[in-house]
Order: sequence, then C-alpha cells, then structure tokens
Amino acid sequence: MTSPSQKLVIWALVWFAILILTLPIVIVVAASVTSGNMIAFPPEGFSLKWYRKILEARELRQAFWRSLQVSAICVLVSVPVGTLAGIALTRYRLRFAAALQVYLLLPFTVPLIASGIGMMLVFGEWRILGQVWPVGIACAAINLPFIIWSVSSSAAALDRDLELAAQNCGAGPVATFLHVTLPAVMPGVITGGLLMFVLAMTEFLVSLLLTDARTVTLPVQVYNNIRSIITPDLAAVSTVFIIIAFAAVWLLDRLVGLDIFLKSK
Amino acid sequence: MEFSPGVRAVDNASFDLQAGRFLTVLGPSGSGKTTLLHMIAGFLKPSGGEIAINGRPVDAVAPHRRSVGMVFQKLALFPHMTAAENVAFPLKMRRWDPRGIPARVAEFLDLVRLGGYRDRRIHELSGGQQQRVAIARALVFEPELLLLDEPLAALDRKLREEMQLEFRRIQKELHVTTINVTHDQREALVVSDEIIVMEGGVIQQYAPPLAIYRQPANAFVAGFVGVSTFLDGVASPAGMRVGGTDCAGRQALPLAEGTPVRGALRAEQISLGPAGDMLAGCDTVLPGRIADMIFEGERLLYIIDSDALPGAEIRIYHHDPTGFDLFEAGAAIRFGWQAQDLKIFKTGRKEPTGGVLQ
Repeated sequence: MTSPSQKLVIWALVWFAILILTLPIVIVVAASVTSGNMIAFPPEGFSLKWYRKILEARELRQAFWRSLQVSAICVLVSVPVGTLAGIALTRYRLRFAAALQVYLLLPFTVPLIASGIGMMLVFGEWRILGQVWPVGIACAAINLPFIIWSVSSSAAALDRDLELAAQNCGAGPVATFLHVTLPAVMPGVITGGLLMFVLAMTEFLVSLLLTDARTVTLPVQVYNNIRSIITPDLAAVSTVFIIIAFAAVWLLDRLVGLDIFLKSK
Repeated sequence: MEFSPGVRAVDNASFDLQAGRFLTVLGPSGSGKTTLLHMIAGFLKPSGGEIAINGRPVDAVAPHRRSVGMVFQKLALFPHMTAAENVAFPLKMRRWDPRGIPARVAEFLDLVRLGGYRDRRIHELSGGQQQRVAIARALVFEPELLLLDEPLAALDRKLREEMQLEFRRIQKELHVTTINVTHDQREALVVSDEIIVMEGGVIQQYAPPLAIYRQPANAFVAGFVGVSTFLDGVASPAGMRVGGTDCAGRQALPLAEGTPVRGALRAEQISLGPAGDMLAGCDTVLPGRIADMIFEGERLLYIIDSDALPGAEIRIYHHDPTGFDLFEAGAAIRFGWQAQDLKIFKTGRKEPTGGVLQ
C-alpha cells in the first residue's frame, strides 16, 4: 500500500520523466511542420513543405537508402549469430562461458570511438572502406550484445524438458532445435532483430568514421548538413527517424503478441 | 526389461518387467525415481549395467531412436502448437506416412476423450485436458514402453484420482508396457499391476499391490504404504517385547530372542473397545486412553496413548459411521490385535528384497 504522499511523489516523478523524454520529440516534430524558413519553436504556421523538400533532396534520399541497406545487412548478420550465441550461452554449459560473456560484452564496453577507429584501420587494411556493407557488419559487431541479451532472456525461460520431450518424440538434434528451441526463443529473436535494425539505422559515430562522401548514411548526412546551416528539413528527417522507431515498436508489439502463443500458460 | 545401473542415485536396481504390465516405482522424493526413467528414456547414461527393451539392449541407442513414450512431470507440451499438432509431432518426426497422420491423431485424441479440442492451443486447455494431450502424444507412435514421470503430482486430489483411472483404462485398452513413478502410495495401489518400492536408490520390495500392502518386506515399506503404528522393542518367542509388555506378532524371518526389532501395525487392523472389553479374537489386548480423534470424512482416526507401550503413538482407524462419536478424547479404552497383523522386522539395516517379483 502506498500512502497519498508517496503516490504524489511517484506520480510527480513519472510525469517529470515522461515530460523530459517526450519534450525533444514534441519540439522536433513541431519544428518540422513550420511554414517559416528557420528552425523555430513554436513553429510559424503549418506546412509540410520541408517534408516535400527532403523527399526531393537527392543526397538525403540516397543516404536514407544506404542506411536501409546498412540496417538490413546488420540484421542479416546479427540475427543468426546473436541467436546461436544467446542460446548457447544460456542452454549449454560452455567451458569458457564466463570469458566468452566478457568477450561478447567487449564491443559494448569499449568506447564507440575506439572501436570505430579500430575498424577504420582494419577495414582500410582490407581495402573495403568506401563500400556500404562493411558499415552494416560494423553495426552488427558493436551492437551484438543487445540481441544476445534479448535471445538469452527468452532461452533462459525455456523449459529444458521441452527439448527432452522433442527427443522422446523422435526428433534428432537438428529437428529439436528447429521445431522446439527456435520457436521458444522467437520472441527474443524478433525483439533483438528489430532492435538491431533501429540501432543500425540511427548509428552515427562508427558510421562517421567508416563512410566517405559516396557512402554517407542518413545520420551522418544529417550531421554534415547541420554543420553548414540548420534548416527545418533536418527536423523533418529527425521526425522520419522517430516514425521508424515507433513503427519498430508497433511491429514488435504486434509480432511478440505472438508471445502469448510462444510461451505456455 | 532388465536394469542394473551402478550409480548412486539408483544403486543396483535390477528388475524385469513383463510386456503389457503396468509397473509403478513408488518412493519418496529423491529416491532415484526420475533418474531411473531418464536412463530408460536415454537422457542419462547409466554408469554401469544394462537396459533392454523387448530383449534388445538400448544403451547405444540415442533417445530419439528409442521406442519409448514419456509423459513428463510438467508435461512439456509444445506451447506453440495446438493439441493436434502436439500429438502429430512424434508421427512427423518418426516419418509416418503423412496421409495417415490426421486420422491417427484424431483416433488418439478420441482415445483420451479430447475429440473436440484438436485446434486448441495448450494454454487454452485445463490441467486435466493438458494431461490427456500429453498421454496421447506419448502413445500415438505405438511405443514399446510408456514412461510416466509423476505427471499427476500437480493436480488437485479429485482430478488426480480421475486421471489415475484414465491412465489405467488407456493402459488396459492399448496393452502398452508402462513404468510409472510416483510418491503417491494411493496412486501406486490404484493403477498398478506391480509396484517397486524404492528408497535411497535401492529397491526395497517388488510385488503386486496387494502383497506390498499385506506383506511389506521391511519397516520402510510398511511405513510408506498405508498408515502404520511402529513399536520398538526386542524379539521374543511370541513376537516382540516392548518395555515389559509382550506383544503377539509374526517375525518376517525367525529372530534370536533379544534381537532389536521394530513392529508395524496397520491402523485398520487394531480393534478398539471400551475399558473392560475383552476384545474377543485379539491375541494381545492392552489398556489405553484416547489422546486425540481426527475426523477424516469416511473414517475417524483415533490417536491412543498406552502406558503399556511407552513412547508409541498408536493410530487406529474407525470406519463405522454410526459409532463415530463412541469415545471422547481422554476416555479410557482397550485396544488389541491379532498376532498375524503385527509384522516384526529386524531394526537397523533395511532388508531390501531386490528386483525379484514376489
């Protein structure tokens, strides 16, 4: 039971948090629909002209397309790797599990600027800089811990007996994995996959180091534009990012509504 | 079935089971029952000994290639599949002709009386219905052996008793050789053709239910199956002596006078009468006092103190409903028994009879 005064404090904190978190979003979205030529809040009038402008801007469109490619590559690489690693770390007693866990967390604990410079050097050595796909691989590598955590939490909730039951039903190791283990961790895979997509879509620091004029991704393009002149079209681009993130959350909710079917009781 | 692993959880537990029989392995938690089943199913390798099904050793056979159906303790139904998909799964995995699968699944859902629930997801079924799906899944592929790992333990009493009879009906209908493990003595007595009582990984007795109940092989079995009163004393020619009191009884094996022994008396085999009653037919009659009476519905349990048997808490069932409030707590009474009903065992070492069906 909470007393009225406790309630007051809790609700005050909740509303403060909601306000702090949503205020930038509200301001950016509002600024993007201004009819003026300056980024301003409150906006001067209402128009969608800046959205038309970003649709017409070739370099933004190309950067957006490249970001989609980066995200797709990141998901394609990280989902199989993260799923297998997440399951292995939870389900099996690995000999170096603790060391492996630390190793898998390295990309997350090392500052992004450090791993970015490292990858820039390595990719340069391999002569693959200046292409889009290595950026996707880099995003997969630095964000891998997220999908591993996501899959691990699903795998930890999996009843070990389900796999024994599958064997008892005549399923060999591969069939057991495909028919029982994988469906059981699917909520974690979907969550992790969407997370990886959004993270790659918005990844900035490492992309900045790995891209050049021909391969800029959307966040880098936005940054380049800010350095020259801040116009409301950047607010419109930011709004597009926000919409993508919301779409991902909505999709997650729809898909992991599957959750109910994938988990017993 | 032959069985003789040499690990500690299950120690030298050799037994043979005839095809088509329903065997229950009965024992307290931690007595090695689940370990035994996991070895038979192939999930664990016995460190010694051999398991054979229908005469063929299966030790080298992977679990998914064994013809063994298992109902798991927590059922382990596949949550992302419907009832019918769960039952169809072993048929698909064992490469049955796909055209025959739907009919076979329907037949087995009917067998467990779930005909109308084929498209329900597992979480949409009640506890009893989930049990039935698990049974159908374990039996649908015609296994040579069915294993039941205490699947009824989590159910409430009424449903559990209903499902016990269901297990029995289905087993009789399909004549499938079955090994059930449980710690519920009632379940063991109700469903089984044969019972193995296990403790500390060691087989204490292997016999049909009636024999387990009537002729327990040792004090552990006498205490685990049924409600018994135990008397500690020494062997005497007539049975045993407790303090200064002679108690008429039967020794399981002839014992030298003075050997420390433990006697077991079933609660329903002690007669009770008012003070002064001679209790005709009893070989030993002693005075006592009602310490407590516990109403259990179909019967009344009297707890008796007796100065003649110091330290013993004598428990007597009273089944006559018209005589339920015959005695008040504190009332002086007399109680007695026939010599054949006091079973006397040597104390200390349990005397397991091993895996030979008695």
